[in-house]
Amino acid sequence: MSGYVEAGYLVGLGTLATYAVTLVARERAGRRRLEHLESTPRDDPAGDSPVTYAP
Amino acid sequence: MSLTSTPLTRDRTSPSTAAAAGTVSEAGAGGRAAWRAVAVRALGVAALAGIAATVVLGLWVTPPDEFMGNLVRLLYIHPALAWVMYIAYGVSFLSSLAYLWPRTRGPRWDRLAGASSEVGVVFTGLTLVTGSIWGRPTWGAWWTWDPLLTTTALLFVLYLGYLAVRRIPGDADTRARRSAIAALVAFVDVPIAYFSVLWWRSLHQTPTVDNPVNGKTAIHGSMAWTLLLSFVAFSLAYLWLVVHRCRLAVLVEREESEGLQLAIEQRRSEAVGGAS
Repeated sequence: MSGYVEAGYLVGLGTLATYAVTLVARERAGRRRLEHLESTPRDDPAGDSPVTYAP
Repeated sequence: MSLTSTPLTRDRTSPSTAAAAGTVSEAGAGGRAAWRAVAVRALGVAALAGIAATVVLGLWVTPPDEFMGNLVRLLYIHPALAWVMYIAYGVSFLSSLAYLWPRTRGPRWDRLAGASSEVGVVFTGLTLVTGSIWGRPTWGAWWTWDPLLTTTALLFVLYLGYLAVRRIPGDADTRARRSAIAALVAFVDVPIAYFSVLWWRSLHQTPTVDNPVNGKTAIHGSMAWTLLLSFVAFSLAYLWLVVHRCRLAVLVEREESEGLQLAIEQRRSEAVGGAS
């Protein structure tokens, strides 16, 4: 078979696979970061303290 | 795996009210999320199986072409990539319209437009590269300024520009409106690219299946079935990629919102600490 055919399949499917794996990895990393953010203790969970902000 | 099992924003209602109202709805949402996760996984498996079958049939089962020989095997990957490219930009166009239309406006349409366009750009790049690999042995050149090739390259650049526009800072609605308008503008090139082989003299062949000029289909038997399978398989892969890209967009939005809230709360507690 011609090397062009193999090259076409390799580039096409290889790039798609890389993109798919990258998406899943970014999604997992994002979920971990979000869980970390959500588990960060808050000083004021109600968020309604009467506060005067410093300028 | 699901994103729908947790609320998008931190619940500020009283714990007892939230617990009472949440028990039933959380169970329902959890069930739906589990089904969605199973459906997405099944979609991924189906796409993977379809692509694997396309590769086996395309490389080893289907016969070589009378004129092109084994080079015809690129037929089972290149047109399917181009097909998905058009689908992706079509979805981006429709979801941008849905965002701009006041009755249907919502962040999900903006997210879908962004996700579909990004996946579309990947498929456009691959269409150009696989086309170039096919063009070298058949036309004798990696690239020519043929109408179809040129308008497809223009599509690639236009949608890269669209993705850049999406990254321009601004409030969510302004950013989404601006992006939706950019998507509508970029889409103008899609029908031009698709019909370019019919409108102008082109090196590229006219459509193989259901040619609009003579109404004929120039492919039959196992070659036709494998071509059809490749279209289905790559369409399923497109769907799977878009679902994951949308999920990622939701995560990024939630992370930004949570990060902002956390920063505000820290600022508040600093202010309280400073005042006391």
